[in-house]
Amino acid sequence: MNKHIRWGFYIFLLPVLLWLVLLIVLPHIDLLIMSFRSENDLGELTWGVSNYGEFFNESIYWLTFVRTAAFSLLVTVITLVIGLPVAFYITKIAAVKYKGPLTVLVLLPFWVSELVRVYGWMILLRESGVINHLLLKMGILHTPVEMLYNDATMIMGLVYTTMLFMVVPLISVLDSLDSEMIEAAFDLGANSISTLFKIIIPYATPGIVSGSIVVFMLTLGNYLTPNILGGKNSLWFTEQIYNQFIASFNWNQGSAFGFLLLALSSAIIWAGLKLTKQDLKQVVQ
Amino acid sequence: MDIDLTVKTVTKKFQDFTAVDGVSFDIARGHFFSILGPSGCGKTTLLRMIAGFDNPDAGEIEIRGENVLGLPPNKRPVNMVFQHLALFPMMNVAENVAFGLRRRGEKDKSRLSARVSAMLQRVGLQGFETKQIGQLSGGQQQRVAIARSLVLEPAVLLLDEPLGALDLKLREHMKVELKKLQSEVGTTFMYITHDQSEALVMSDYIAVMNRGKFEQIDTPSNLYNRPQTPFVARFVGDNNSWSGTIRERNHDRMTVETDDGHRFRVRKTSSASPGAAVELFLRPEAILIQPDPGLKEINRFSVVVRSILFDGASSRLLVSPLHSSRELIVSLPQNRQFDHIKPADQLEIGWSEAAGITFEQTEPLP
Repeated sequence: MNKHIRWGFYIFLLPVLLWLVLLIVLPHIDLLIMSFRSENDLGELTWGVSNYGEFFNESIYWLTFVRTAAFSLLVTVITLVIGLPVAFYITKIAAVKYKGPLTVLVLLPFWVSELVRVYGWMILLRESGVINHLLLKMGILHTPVEMLYNDATMIMGLVYTTMLFMVVPLISVLDSLDSEMIEAAFDLGANSISTLFKIIIPYATPGIVSGSIVVFMLTLGNYLTPNILGGKNSLWFTEQIYNQFIASFNWNQGSAFGFLLLALSSAIIWAGLKLTKQDLKQVVQ
Repeated sequence: MDIDLTVKTVTKKFQDFTAVDGVSFDIARGHFFSILGPSGCGKTTLLRMIAGFDNPDAGEIEIRGENVLGLPPNKRPVNMVFQHLALFPMMNVAENVAFGLRRRGEKDKSRLSARVSAMLQRVGLQGFETKQIGQLSGGQQQRVAIARSLVLEPAVLLLDEPLGALDLKLREHMKVELKKLQSEVGTTFMYITHDQSEALVMSDYIAVMNRGKFEQIDTPSNLYNRPQTPFVARFVGDNNSWSGTIRERNHDRMTVETDDGHRFRVRKTSSASPGAAVELFLRPEAILIQPDPGLKEINRFSVVVRSILFDGASSRLLVSPLHSSRELIVSLPQNRQFDHIKPADQLEIGWSEAAGITFEQTEPLP
């Protein structure tokens, strides 16, 4: 009996292990090795940290890197500021019978691929797009305005793309917040603002942190949205990696950039967890 | 006598359902006042209107003479102990108790911690300041919830069935504790419950509520001994009941013929004339088992013992009159005098003519 259970356990574990080792661990080991090798003047491959040195010497690389990190943090904050009221409305204010339909409404756009959604934005925002057309018709604009290919549009697109991953953990954490607790806070003399900052946000912190981690990582590693909505000016770090691999065919340099991005996201998430005094294990649950 | 809370003809409707229907009462300073009623009778709605979470459709609510209608909950001088306590799990015990004081703008750390410690000592939790809520037992959480409200020195402390979630032994214990605490601090308590024993043990006054209306406001012993409506007679304590018809009236007694064929003599009440339908109530402890043949003014009849419900000091007999399937409950004193009684035995029982309570029947029994 016991043996059966153990065999069953290994059979189910096997795909997970294969997936982890073949698709995540092995490629990363290979990339790590590649990142420490570069061609010398004679065209031979040698060991060294010159790929990483390149990153710090060329200001365009590390400026893109800092810009990507800062914008990803900004996107995370905006998603949180929009997502918290949405989740609060769905769980605490809307009638119980609308809770399911409202959650589905949040989910609905994600049934379509990211590419299609981003092209949707392009149809709306481009120079000959729907919004420009309407504004011209209404006489508010006289010449069409290019609304694509700037930072604001790119950030809006990233917020839209990642909103679900903030709202879902917030809904689940706020669902468990007893409405009596909010009433108790009011009863003890709190106003709306102190109830938000002393009761609701502290209570929702695990959900906020787990949502923020997912949104931050997805934004930092996003290639499609910054590239299409931000265009050539987007200067997203994933584009630098792409360029090294595909355009310059310098896999060694690309690997080094990939590891720098991995280190960056790990460091920022670690700092975020320390700052909010959360435990990664708890947050992931 | 100072009045802490005045409620005047308060009415609250939800669509076409009237939850609270023209309720009026006063609570004097320092009293323990309970509202007792079955679930769905409107007692929680009434409490929420006093706390400020709901607004009445009509009527007035005054706290210490000030009209509080239109004031939000955080501006009213009352505090509430919630049914599920609603302690803040992300704060420790001291932070929970200090929450209200901080909201009032108390910033001085040493003064805050002194008041919190004094309050915790009062509820028997000295030294619990840094404990997390999850580490406390049900009874201790109860005390934190009460301390958190009492530290704000409310005019009235509102309690919404806070003992409901505790197990029986702890509930019995907390009843006594709560009553003791109330008489020590002297704060006016308004307590909501569906458990009559909680209300009877703790309260100075009890209002019995049914279908949005108050049936009777009285002391616990008056409610038990002199119920003024059939609902109160049935709801407070156990009662045997008959429906019947008045047959005769003479100076202070009347004869009631019950629908199962007994003729009982009872105290004359009101002006009901012969032929009127009445309900007759009789407490289990008012029934004597094998009454002394010499006793006067006793309604006697024979019954068959159905079963013996042994429960220590509150043991009962379940009996049926001869040739009847009606069941009556009779208190069975545990003084060993009745140890010989066994199921299926035939017994004579009797009750004093003064012990029965009759009401004119206004509506047919359900």
